[in-house]
Amino acid sequence: MARRHALIVGAGDPADAVAVGLEARGWAVTRMADDTLEWTDDTVDSRLPGRDPIDLVVHARYPAPARRRSALVDLSDEDWYRMADEPLEAAVRLARSAHADLAATSGTMVFLVPLMASAGGDGFAPMATAAEGIRIMAKSLAKTWGHDGIRVHALTLDPSAFLAEADAAGMAEANSLHDPPLGRVPDLAAEVAPIVDALAGDDFASLVGASLVVDGGLWMPG
Amino acid sequence: MSEHEMNDIPTPPLPPVDGLLSGRVAIVTGAGQGVGEGIAASMARAGATVLLAARRAETGEPAAERIRAAGGNAEFVRCDVTVPADVEAAVAGAVERHGRLDTMVHNAVSPPGAPRAIQDIDDETIDLQIATSTTASFYCARAAFPHLRADYGSLILLTSPAGIEGSGNLPLYGTIKGAQRGLLKSLALEWGPAGVRVNAIAPVAWTPAMDVATEANPTLEARLRARTPLQRIGDPTDDIGPVAVFLASPLSRHMTGQTLAVDGGRYLGL
Repeated sequence: MARRHALIVGAGDPADAVAVGLEARGWAVTRMADDTLEWTDDTVDSRLPGRDPIDLVVHARYPAPARRRSALVDLSDEDWYRMADEPLEAAVRLARSAHADLAATSGTMVFLVPLMASAGGDGFAPMATAAEGIRIMAKSLAKTWGHDGIRVHALTLDPSAFLAEADAAGMAEANSLHDPPLGRVPDLAAEVAPIVDALAGDDFASLVGASLVVDGGLWMPG
Repeated sequence: MSEHEMNDIPTPPLPPVDGLLSGRVAIVTGAGQGVGEGIAASMARAGATVLLAARRAETGEPAAERIRAAGGNAEFVRCDVTVPADVEAAVAGAVERHGRLDTMVHNAVSPPGAPRAIQDIDDETIDLQIATSTTASFYCARAAFPHLRADYGSLILLTSPAGIEGSGNLPLYGTIKGAQRGLLKSLALEWGPAGVRVNAIAPVAWTPAMDVATEANPTLEARLRARTPLQRIGDPTDDIGPVAVFLASPLSRHMTGQTLAVDGGRYLGL
């Protein structure tokens, strides 16, 4: 049986670790880890001409400027664009260009988003703006792409998956009065990648538009 | 009440709100019509001085005149919310002419247009939708904050149930409305220590866009009403506006980071 093919978009963690985890589970992984690329409909085609069919697209693209702590009132117009609008636009354009590939394989798209999308993040308003837009886009895509055999999900991860250690520690403190019930934040390669793998597999073929929190139990909304 | 008839589901009359926002000054973007005008009218009814920020004088000025004719304090300011200098000028004008700014309501949005899958949406639409909702939310927040913090002010963003549950018909609209909720929660955390509250309203109401949609799809109104527990579509002034008044007033002084769905119970997922 041919190895399934995953395209993972984004530099650094959590993309790096999830790529390692998926490879360990038998996936052929192609990375698009240059976050300075300007995303257009041709970006995937121009970078990956003649590619193998894509069964899974994982989005975890939050360029370095978006991961920077800053007060909103101190941001310039250009700062905001680089930290919020550009990541959001790029995610929309990636989704737009991924549709044909995923429709051809009845594939799956998974968006990895930081906790501040749904919980807010003091000092991370631009990143939270982009991330929550992306998390909700996953639901919208799931509603329309289900007819094409494509399933779309979002996984909310602990901020430490995206941020520098000091920033992530402060975030966890701000969002929770308790330690993770699991006693730790899930390991990205060993514990998050298998969930992505499962979401793309037949066992979860009836799960559509899931928005799952995989943070060890810190955030339990709704 | 708008020209749309109430149905026969009992609806209580609105209580008087005179004076609730007396001495307060508010800016409402996208106030030339629809929900924006309704919020502006309702805030003026509660005693606020309201600046109706709109891109077009043809809609903004008559809307302000309607509020003045009803006894409210209102003025039109020309403002394209995608232009930061316009937003900053509107804020500066409010402070210069009225001495303060207590509430910034960002309601303006680019019309989402006809239902389209994400792969069928063109670049221009993506850029415009993001510019009017997310980028403009940033412009409004950044310009207003120094004045909002002076006296326990608040920022109110108009989002949508589509920004919570997504939208199959309008996936980009759901995306940008969701993005606004990520912003509001973060700003609630960031600005709370300064005493500034940030909340959102997710309405379903009669607007010019809803008029167009129901004209294009004659069964839409009946289907929407049938799926709404209160069985009617909200009126911008009498149903949506009072919730904005509540969020702008000290009655909601212990609320921040919240999204209130004002939709007759259509969306129950919060």
